Amino acid sequence: MPKIKRSRKPPPEGWELIEPTIDELDAKMREAETDPHEGKRKVEAMWPIFRLHHQKSRYIYDLFYRRKAISRELYEYCLKENIADKNLIAKWKKQGYENLCCLRCIQTRDTNFGTNCICRVPKPKLETGKIVECIHCGCRGCSG
Amino acid sequence: MATSKGANTYNRQNWEDSEFPVLCQTCLGDNPYIRMMKEKYGKECKICARPFTVFRWCPGARMRFKKTEVCQTCSKVKNICQTCLLDLEYGLPVQVRDAALKVADTMPKSEVNREFYTQNLEREISDGDIINPIGSMAGKSQTHSDMLLKLARTTPYYKRNRPHICSFWVKGECKRGEECPYRHDKPTDPDDPLADQNIKDRFHGINDPVADKLLKRYSEMPKLEPPEDTAITTLYVGNLGDKVEEKDLKDHFYQFGEIRSINVVPKQQCAFVQFTNRTSAESAAEQSFNKLILKGQRLNIKWGRSQGQQQAPKKDGSDTEAMMEPVPGLPGALPMPPEELGTNYFNLQPPPMIPGFMPRGMPMHMRGPPGGPPGGPPRGPPPMGPYGMRPPRSNFGPPDMRMMPPPPPGVMPMRPPPGMNGVPPTGGVHYPSQDPTRMGAPSAPQN
Repeated sequence: MPKIKRSRKPPPEGWELIEPTIDELDAKMREAETDPHEGKRKVEAMWPIFRLHHQKSRYIYDLFYRRKAISRELYEYCLKENIADKNLIAKWKKQGYENLCCLRCIQTRDTNFGTNCICRVPKPKLETGKIVECIHCGCRGCSG
Repeated sequence: MATSKGANTYNRQNWEDSEFPVLCQTCLGDNPYIRMMKEKYGKECKICARPFTVFRWCPGARMRFKKTEVCQTCSKVKNICQTCLLDLEYGLPVQVRDAALKVADTMPKSEVNREFYTQNLEREISDGDIINPIGSMAGKSQTHSDMLLKLARTTPYYKRNRPHICSFWVKGECKRGEECPYRHDKPTDPDDPLADQNIKDRFHGINDPVADKLLKRYSEMPKLEPPEDTAITTLYVGNLGDKVEEKDLKDHFYQFGEIRSINVVPKQQCAFVQFTNRTSAESAAEQSFNKLILKGQRLNIKWGRSQGQQQAPKKDGSDTEAMMEPVPGLPGALPMPPEELGTNYFNLQPPPMIPGFMPRGMPMHMRGPPGGPPGGPPRGPPPMGPYGMRPPRSNFGPPDMRMMPPPPPGVMPMRPPPGMNGVPPTGGVHYPSQDPTRMGAPSAPQN
C-alpha cells in the first residue's frame, strides 16, 4: 500500500518526478525490515536499514542542494513528511561531515571513551590494510 | 534492622571495590598509552565469587580486550596478576612458584570456608600495611630462587593476548573475512594436555599442566652433581680464554669460602680452584655452574678429581714435558721384578715397561694401576701425593721431573714450566738441577 501522507494538502509540483524513486527506496526498506535474521550477526541485520535511510536522504539532498532540480517547497515537503532526515542533512552541510553515514557514528555518548565511531577515522590515519565495518551501520569509512 | 545486604557490612563478605588493578606487564601490553575502563561490581570473581571492580583495556593492536578475572583480594593472597593468574615477579604459574619457594596453599576451597578466609584477608588488607604480603605468601623472604630465575621468561610473551580462534572459520563459515577480529588459525589440539586448564586449579596451584611441563623441563636441565668422594674440594674451571686470570678467579671464588689454591693452566685455558672445605666447594659449584661469566667468557665448571687423579685426563693431551735425553753412560732402567716374587699384594697389573725409555714425569705415574679397582688403591695416598712421597710408585727410576721443590700445597703437578721450550743451551739436561729454567737457576732465561 502506498505510504501514508501526514499532511492534508497535496504534495507540491515536481512530486511526480521524484515519487517513483522514493517508492522504490521505500519498497527496499520494507524488504530490509522483514528480512529474516538467520546467518547474520545481531548488528548486521540493522545495517541495510541505516544504509537505505542514508540513501533516501542523500537523494533528496542531492536533488535540492547539488542539482537544484526541485523547488524549496518540495524539499521542505519531503523533510516534513520524514522522507529525508533533516538532522542528517544538517550534518552534511558541515565541512568534514559531507559523507556522514549515520547519526549514531558521531554520537560520543554511545562510546566507552567518548569518541566517534571507527568509521569516522580518515583512511590515511587508519593503519593501512585494515578493513573496518562499524557496528552501528556497517560503514567502511565516511570521512575524508 | 538490617534490611539489605548492602546495609550490614559487619562480618559479611563484602563486594570488592578497588581503584586500580593488579596486573603484570605482559597483560598490559606493549603500548605505553592505555585507555582502561572501570566498572564497579562488573563481574564475579572467578575464585571467590564476589562482585568486584572489573577493569578492561586493549593490550595493543590486533589484541583482544583483556579484563580482570579475579578480585584483588584473591590476587594479593597469591601475589599474582588479576588477569593471567601468573606470579607478578617471575611470570610463572602458581604451582611452579610454590614448588620452588616451598609455599603451601592454605586457602580453603569450599564455599563457607572460603568466604570466611577472604573476608578475614580483606579486613587484614584494609586495616594493615599493604606492603607485607598476606595469606600464603606471608613470611616468605624475598630470596631470589635460582630455579625460578632460570624458568622465568626474559621477554614478554604477547601471544597470550591474541584474540581467540574464530569458530566460524574453523567450520568454514566465517563471513566476515578480512575484518574478522578473531584469529583464523587452526585450533589447539584437544589431545594436548595443555588444552584442559581450569582457572581454579591454576589459582590454587594443583593439577596445572603448564606447571607440570615447566617442572619437567627444569628437572631435565643440565645439573652439576657433587662427586661422591667427599675429599674432593677442587673445581675445574674451563673456557678461560686469554682474558680471565687467576686474580679474577680468586676475586670471584673467595666469597664461597677459603681458597686453598688456584692453579691456572693457560695452555688448556683452564684452572683448578681448590677450597679448604667441601661445603664451600659445593656452594661455589652450585652458584657458578652454567652461570658464571667472567670478562665475557662463560666458564665451564666441573668437579675436579683428587690429587692423584689429576693427571689422568691430561696424559693424552699436549706434550708439555719435553723429553729428556738419557744420561749418557748410565744403564737403562732396570726391568720390573718377576711376578713370582709375590709383592703384588694389590693384584695390580705390571706397569708397561719400555727399556731405555726415560719415563716422563707425572703422566706415567698414573699408569701404575690402570686395571686396578677404580678409585680404590690409586687413591690410597692422595694426601701425601704432592709432597713428593710416592715410594710405592716411583719404581720407574728417576724421581718426578718438573717438581718444584718443595711444591706449594695443592699445586696440581700438571703445571707446565713457564716459557719452556725444552731446549737447554748447551749439552743435555738430564737432571732437574741442570734445567736452566728451574727456580734458583743462576741466570734464568726468562724473556
